[in-house]
Amino acid sequence: MSGNITEKALGLLRSLPRVCLANLRDAPGARKQKRRGRGQHGGDKHGAGNKGSLQRQNYTRVGYETGNNPFYLRFPMEPYYKGQHMRRQYPPLSLLTLQTMIDTNRIDTTKPIDLVTLFNTGIFRISPAEHQFGVQLTDEGADVFKAKVNVEVQWASEIVIAAIERMGGVITMAYYDQHSLQAMVNPEKFFYRGIPIPPRKIPPQDVIEYYSDPVSRGYLADPEKVSYERFVLSQKYGYVLPNLEEDENYEMLVERKDPRQIFYGLNPGWVVNLRDKVILKPQDEELQKYYNS
Amino acid sequence: MLKNIFTTLRNCQCLSKSYSTLNPLEPRKLLFPPKYLKPRQAWVENLDTIDEKKLGLIDLHPEVFADSPRIDVIHQNVRWQRMYGNVCYAHTKVRSEVRGGGKKPFPQKGLGRSRHGSIRSPLWKGGGVIHGPRSPTPHFYMLPFYTRVMGLTSTLSIKLAQDDLHVVNNLDLPSDDPKFIEELVKSRNWGPSVLFVDISDIMPRNITAASDTIKHFNLMPVYGLNVYSMLKHDTLILTARAVDLIEEKLLTHLHRNNPLDVSSKFKVNHT
Repeated sequence: MSGNITEKALGLLRSLPRVCLANLRDAPGARKQKRRGRGQHGGDKHGAGNKGSLQRQNYTRVGYETGNNPFYLRFPMEPYYKGQHMRRQYPPLSLLTLQTMIDTNRIDTTKPIDLVTLFNTGIFRISPAEHQFGVQLTDEGADVFKAKVNVEVQWASEIVIAAIERMGGVITMAYYDQHSLQAMVNPEKFFYRGIPIPPRKIPPQDVIEYYSDPVSRGYLADPEKVSYERFVLSQKYGYVLPNLEEDENYEMLVERKDPRQIFYGLNPGWVVNLRDKVILKPQDEELQKYYNS
Repeated sequence: MLKNIFTTLRNCQCLSKSYSTLNPLEPRKLLFPPKYLKPRQAWVENLDTIDEKKLGLIDLHPEVFADSPRIDVIHQNVRWQRMYGNVCYAHTKVRSEVRGGGKKPFPQKGLGRSRHGSIRSPLWKGGGVIHGPRSPTPHFYMLPFYTRVMGLTSTLSIKLAQDDLHVVNNLDLPSDDPKFIEELVKSRNWGPSVLFVDISDIMPRNITAASDTIKHFNLMPVYGLNVYSMLKHDTLILTARAVDLIEEKLLTHLHRNNPLDVSSKFKVNHT
């Protein structure tokens, strides 16, 4: 359709005068010029309206009721949102989007999927500076999710875990602190800084239970308990759990990061030199001790 | 001296790349082959004789050379190119900047005159100016990335549709005489002004010398190609290698899978 219109327009141009700098114009009505008041309206209201506090910018403070006991003070405080600005956020990514990314070759399922993989798709971003601590996988599209993946996210519900494990995949919840996330958001930029990869911090007190719980597939949980919980979940939702050991991609599916590790294949303390294409590893004993602890 | 020039070459990584050699019998392999649109075709001409020789046909990618002719987008590009480097130095003084005017000119009451506090009030002749231009007013703004890309594809398409775009095998002329190239352009009915485009900014010696004295024959490397210059010149002459490079660059942007990186808000690099 659009090709047809384009053809017509280009065909029309053959019999029209040459398009040049002199006969260009914007689409009608595309640009409306702002005009200041002219002549006797020059010193008018300047868009501020007529008289009073709106013109003089002496607004009363928000919530002030000219002497009444204000509404916001009338009731005892109920701190629903205490510390809201400090809470960790996990921007959502649905299973449907993940499946689409896989189908459109943005994600390679023959390798483990982590945050860096998602960032490398070019269409998913988080900003650690705004207290975003990774991604939560949501259950939209759980019934159409068909990929077998080894995926590592920061938060997911039981249904999401079931949807992934039903297809023979593996899911892990892993915590990353802000410094680690900053390195992961743009690894190339981080490596160009020439600083060693930091060791990943352990989760803070309020989520350490979540990340060491086999039910939530925490990365600090005992793998044997996790495999038991996989079986329990399959019983609950009524699917046959595919056997991991018999899988042809067994090596990939059981690959996990060390709790101190940020990038697959790179250990904390290493410096990736992109210019000389070498990896520098710490030789000093004290450094090794620090990064291995 | 030449070494100095070569070290400052901009954007000429293309020199090291290999481009499709021109073989009329062999169809050109298009990048991102179009699924539904047919490729455009153009004759490849020569520049070494005054009479035109058709050396072969070249396939042109329809997404670059048969894009919809958006006059408004081209207009936006031209407006942006004219504006962004422009700083306006027109300046008027407000009442506080005009010399004098501190004293009350006459008493408030008793003279039968209207009330005035300063002889430099904007109501007075020789007083300050209200809403006048203030210097410097920069007119810099950035056009959205894909509007710039579309400006290029639209302009190339229009040039091709109006027979103002010609493809040549190379820019080698037999002589550096300006008369030769004038004769050539005249005999082929190319517009009075002609823009020759090649991949690098070091052009063959003969065409450089020949076009040096003719103000309306200009040479340009692909990295300098822009909407304004294409429209300023009546005819656009691309070498076959330039066609390759232009298509490669524009198609990369039209098909990139991370448009967020280029379409985010423009930031001036302060460093």
